[in-house]
Amino acid sequence: MTRAPDDSAPPPAGSVEPDAVEPDAGEPDAAEPAVGQSVAFRSRIWVRRARIVIVRVSRLVRIGMSRLLPGLRFLVRSVHRKWRRSLQFRTVLTTLMLAISSFAVVGAYLSNQIANNLFQERLVQAESETRYNVKQIQDTFDGAQVTDQSSVITLVYDTLNAVEGRGSVIQRRYVFEAMPEQTKPRNRWVESRASDQLTISVIPPELRKAVQDSGKEQFWASNEFPVGTEDRPGIAVGNKVTFNGTVYELYLIYDLNTAQKTLAEIQNVLLAGGAALVLMIGAVAWYVTRNVVSPVSHAALVSEKLAAGQLQERMVVKGEDEVARLGASFNHMAASLQEQITQLATLSQMQQRFVSDVSHELRTPLTTVRMAAEVLYDARGDFDPINKRSAELLYHQVERFQSLLADLLEISRFDAGVAVLDAEPTDIVQLISHVMEGVGPVAAEYGSKVTLSAPARSIIVEMDDRRIDRILRNLVLNALEHGEGRPVNISVAANDSAVAVAVRDHGIGMNPAETARVFDRFWRADPARARTTGGSGLGLSIAAEDTKLHNGWLQTWGKKGSGSNFRLTLPLRRGGTITKSPLQLEPADVGIPGAGRERTMVLLGPSPAPAPGPDAGNRAADIDHDGGGAAGTPVTGTTATPGTAGAGTKEGS
Amino acid sequence: MKARILVVDDDEALAEMIGIVLRNDGFEPVFCADGGQALDVFRSSKPDLVLLDLMLPGIDGIEVCRQIRAESDVPIVMLTAKSDTSDVVRGLESGADDYVPKPFKPAELVARVRARLRPGDQKAPETLRIADVTIDVAGHLVSRGTERISLTPLEFDLLVALARKPWQVFTRELLLEQVWGYRHAADTRLVNVHVQRLRSKIERDPEAPEVVLTVRGVGYKAGS
Repeated sequence: MTRAPDDSAPPPAGSVEPDAVEPDAGEPDAAEPAVGQSVAFRSRIWVRRARIVIVRVSRLVRIGMSRLLPGLRFLVRSVHRKWRRSLQFRTVLTTLMLAISSFAVVGAYLSNQIANNLFQERLVQAESETRYNVKQIQDTFDGAQVTDQSSVITLVYDTLNAVEGRGSVIQRRYVFEAMPEQTKPRNRWVESRASDQLTISVIPPELRKAVQDSGKEQFWASNEFPVGTEDRPGIAVGNKVTFNGTVYELYLIYDLNTAQKTLAEIQNVLLAGGAALVLMIGAVAWYVTRNVVSPVSHAALVSEKLAAGQLQERMVVKGEDEVARLGASFNHMAASLQEQITQLATLSQMQQRFVSDVSHELRTPLTTVRMAAEVLYDARGDFDPINKRSAELLYHQVERFQSLLADLLEISRFDAGVAVLDAEPTDIVQLISHVMEGVGPVAAEYGSKVTLSAPARSIIVEMDDRRIDRILRNLVLNALEHGEGRPVNISVAANDSAVAVAVRDHGIGMNPAETARVFDRFWRADPARARTTGGSGLGLSIAAEDTKLHNGWLQTWGKKGSGSNFRLTLPLRRGGTITKSPLQLEPADVGIPGAGRERTMVLLGPSPAPAPGPDAGNRAADIDHDGGGAAGTPVTGTTATPGTAGAGTKEGS
Repeated sequence: MKARILVVDDDEALAEMIGIVLRNDGFEPVFCADGGQALDVFRSSKPDLVLLDLMLPGIDGIEVCRQIRAESDVPIVMLTAKSDTSDVVRGLESGADDYVPKPFKPAELVARVRARLRPGDQKAPETLRIADVTIDVAGHLVSRGTERISLTPLEFDLLVALARKPWQVFTRELLLEQVWGYRHAADTRLVNVHVQRLRSKIERDPEAPEVVLTVRGVGYKAGS
């Protein structure tokens, strides 16, 4: 908007009167009182409507958020997962990020440079044009005849209008203003003059000040100037001209719009090019990483298959590059692995066959010997004492030899890995009763009483009854053998995942070193003693293997003079895991505080698997067959009590 | 009359020992050490029972068992050194009625022999029916309509045991006791294999049995 501060000066052509530019018809205050009431009413309605709209919008936003948030979270999470799991994704994303940021930097620099150059060029042009035009104007002014007001005004205006240039396109615009603070001569008829839409106020004050303070120099400033309905960047070049003794500031304003447009176009091109380049770089990165990563993931897949036992899996080898070398060496590794495993498998098969053959070869003569021994044994009443005793020895030793052979074959079957679990739901309480019936004569021989404490009449467990029967028989016979004629207690209990059977004797007991070795093959706590008993020395080892096959635990506790406790814990269902045993490994009937100097810890706790301290005079050896070992294994025992030594518990099968 | 028992075993010492034990218990043993001659000796001696070693030179025990079974229903008891499932099952499937794993006690062997020779002659005249199968117990005849079905004595005993109490579900252990004469728990595979063999002879479709039904998790019962 152009304003002519001096009312005496007629407005320039096309200029808009201030009144027309600032219409006050829209002001509500100007309305009449009746209208004012209706306006108040209307405004209340509008306020209410606005509130409703706000409430609705906020509800929409809330719903939108609640709908969007999970999706957003899912998106973030999946991107995060992808970032963690995919090397390719990570590489491509990183490349893209780097490319974008470097393009941003380069683009900013380039566009800045271009803008600068464009501006400098235009500035130089503007300055030289200004200089020329100012000189022209000054010359015109200097040579003017100052006669009357109208001719002066006409002269000045024509001169200035000429600056705008000929033709339809305005080359430059101007602001012409008398310098303030100078004595106003009588015949000063022109105060100011400007092109369309311009006033002196559009000129930056700093520029004006520089122009006013200087002599004849030229100054410039860049600013936004109104053109039509928008503000456009431009350069104002300021100078002084003198007319009729009055110093005027003359500012010529050059539009930078074309330069700006050029710059914008260049920037657009830069942006488009950058985006295209970034996309291409992303694609290249994707392609390259895919080329590198796909053999790696292929290798991972193949090695997983190899690990899963598909030994014939190989990588595809193409070319001679690093990836191909990786593939070749991988295949080489797989081949040698396969070879070794096949060799091992062959060896194992040979071993199995050997065991099987030996079993047959040994069993046939053994059968003959055994039958002969039995015939002799049955007829021993007719023999003289020496022959009679010989027949008895022969008979018993053949029996022993046979049980030893059977145990050996059984354990070799475990070693060969051919033992299979033949599990069926069976009542373990009934099985224990069978075992107790079976060992009845032996118990009578030792003078021990075997008792059973069971919380329920039947506990159904998925198990291989032949193996569990063998384990329990071994444990009970072992307890009887080392029970010194004292009672042997069998207790059974179940929780929701496991069943436990504990066999407790009150015999000689074991020290920690002995409990640790109790499941070792052919191990005997007291060799002198063992020679008199008939055990093969493999019974507990077989029990441990049988337990392992069931994914169960077989653990022992022992204390010198207090006897020992063997606890078998089995998962109720085949393949299940045991979290804790329903029975306590430490018997409840030992460990009364103050019972002895060596006993410093009470091991009765709420936990069925008490954790004995380092100073407890007890020892619990664990055979933990829970596979992963993650399940809570009862804590193994503790240091020896000084001065305790002697025989441990060892079974006789 | 003494029951004649054919002992087919290549181990002469064991065969002789078995002979001593059998003679001691009132049986009349006949020996054969070679699988190839087993069938000839069987034909010429007409034994009441065959004790057959599974591992034989020449033709192996399973093949001998198959040959004997092809022409006779005489009870066959295998002597096995291998207690591996596959061998035992293979032996039973080839037609053996029972098996004794080595090393065995003399009493055990004699008990097995006696159980198979158990006199089933004093059966009262009795006719039983399962599904569409008729059993003449005294005549040892099984027929479907007019078609006669040939069963070994053991299979016949198994079928009769089931048919006598059609309302009862027989556990494998119970069948072992009633049919095989085991007093203690023994190998239940015996029952499984023989039920399969019985079905293959007696059922119209052994895959969908109607005469001998399986009661899952318990055992077997007669069809109605």
